[in-house]
Amino acid sequence: MVRGKDSSSAEVHFIGQIVSGSGFSDSQLFCRWSIQTGGAWHHVEGLKEGQTHADCPQLGQAAIWCHPVDVHYTIKGITGWPKLVVQVYSLDGFGRFDICGYGFCNLPSSPGAHSIDCVIWRPTGSLRDEFRQQFVGGGPQLRDPQLVYTSLDRYRIQTTAMGTVHVQISVILRNFARYGIEY
Amino acid sequence: MAAAAAAAGGVPSQQCFLLSVTGQVESARLAGADQLYCRYQLHGGPDWDIVTGLEEGISQVSRPSQDARQLLVWNLPVEVSYKATNPYGWPQLIVSCYGPDLFGNDVIRGYGVSHLPTAAGAHRVTLPLFVPESTSQLQKLVSWFTGRRPELADASSLATGDGRDVMRVRSQGYVTCSFQVVTKDLQRLGYDNGRRAPAGAAGGDLQPAGGGDGRPG
Repeated sequence: MVRGKDSSSAEVHFIGQIVSGSGFSDSQLFCRWSIQTGGAWHHVEGLKEGQTHADCPQLGQAAIWCHPVDVHYTIKGITGWPKLVVQVYSLDGFGRFDICGYGFCNLPSSPGAHSIDCVIWRPTGSLRDEFRQQFVGGGPQLRDPQLVYTSLDRYRIQTTAMGTVHVQISVILRNFARYGIEY
Repeated sequence: MAAAAAAAGGVPSQQCFLLSVTGQVESARLAGADQLYCRYQLHGGPDWDIVTGLEEGISQVSRPSQDARQLLVWNLPVEVSYKATNPYGWPQLIVSCYGPDLFGNDVIRGYGVSHLPTAAGAHRVTLPLFVPESTSQLQKLVSWFTGRRPELADASSLATGDGRDVMRVRSQGYVTCSFQVVTKDLQRLGYDNGRRAPAGAAGGDLQPAGGGDGRPG
């Protein structure tokens, strides 16, 4: 069914995929993602968070997720452009999952197809914690996941780099010229 | 399964844009696959209607080439035109590859999913393949013997992204597709997808209006 839509507001569409994750030392990986925006953004349709399947890649290959992202916003201001926040987890043979890393990337603000690499990091504890994590798992996790995409209180933690999450996003803008928004 | 255009429930054509895609599922590379055929499906959102073209198709059975490339070639045409009021629900191509296992049963070898390109022009898209896996070793052994591997009941559920968190998959191989995309009236409706129209383009129907004066619609 094709519905008519009014055409007066400034709208943004993000259409794409969370394609893969590479460079991780663990094997069965999945990713939880969400899109965070500022207050001027009104979410119209589409899932703005989700969880991918768990992929076990061949040795040395990237974990393939190909998870579709299709979100539609209308905006009242240009502040608070969306960020894609990801958390990568690894599954072990017993079905337990453990945090592999956190990361965020800014969604593109220019129309067209973009390929984005989102760097992933993991909080580290003391030497004793790292040693124990090798055998038992369950390293430090962030208590407040907002720390991933905000810059407050970052100075308190120590982190180490993990792999990269690859995202392909196409951006379609509507009526931006009518409101004098330059991009 | 061509779906003819409804007269779109009274939505005037000035509020619709058209997307026309002509392409092909070219080839695949999948290690260990002796014969492979693929099935494609196109899945669009609720605001998308197919105007012409088939939204499903099945290819021939192909064997890998004898050279170092080990390429499986299908050259399967995909031609479809959509009419839509909203870029949300942009159509996705879902490819399912099937081949025989050791005992001759047709089993799923991989799924690939990708959006159709959002901008006009020539595009080459690579779809990595992944196949669902049983969660327990016993189930894997049983499915290897019986030839009933875990398979999605409806491959187009890959397009929604819902419910994927319960799946475990193994990824291997990829499918290569190429598309030529033409859009109409996206810019006239105020959308910018990063593609500038050529100079001198004006909005309107290709057929002149009833008075024959050819004014833009």
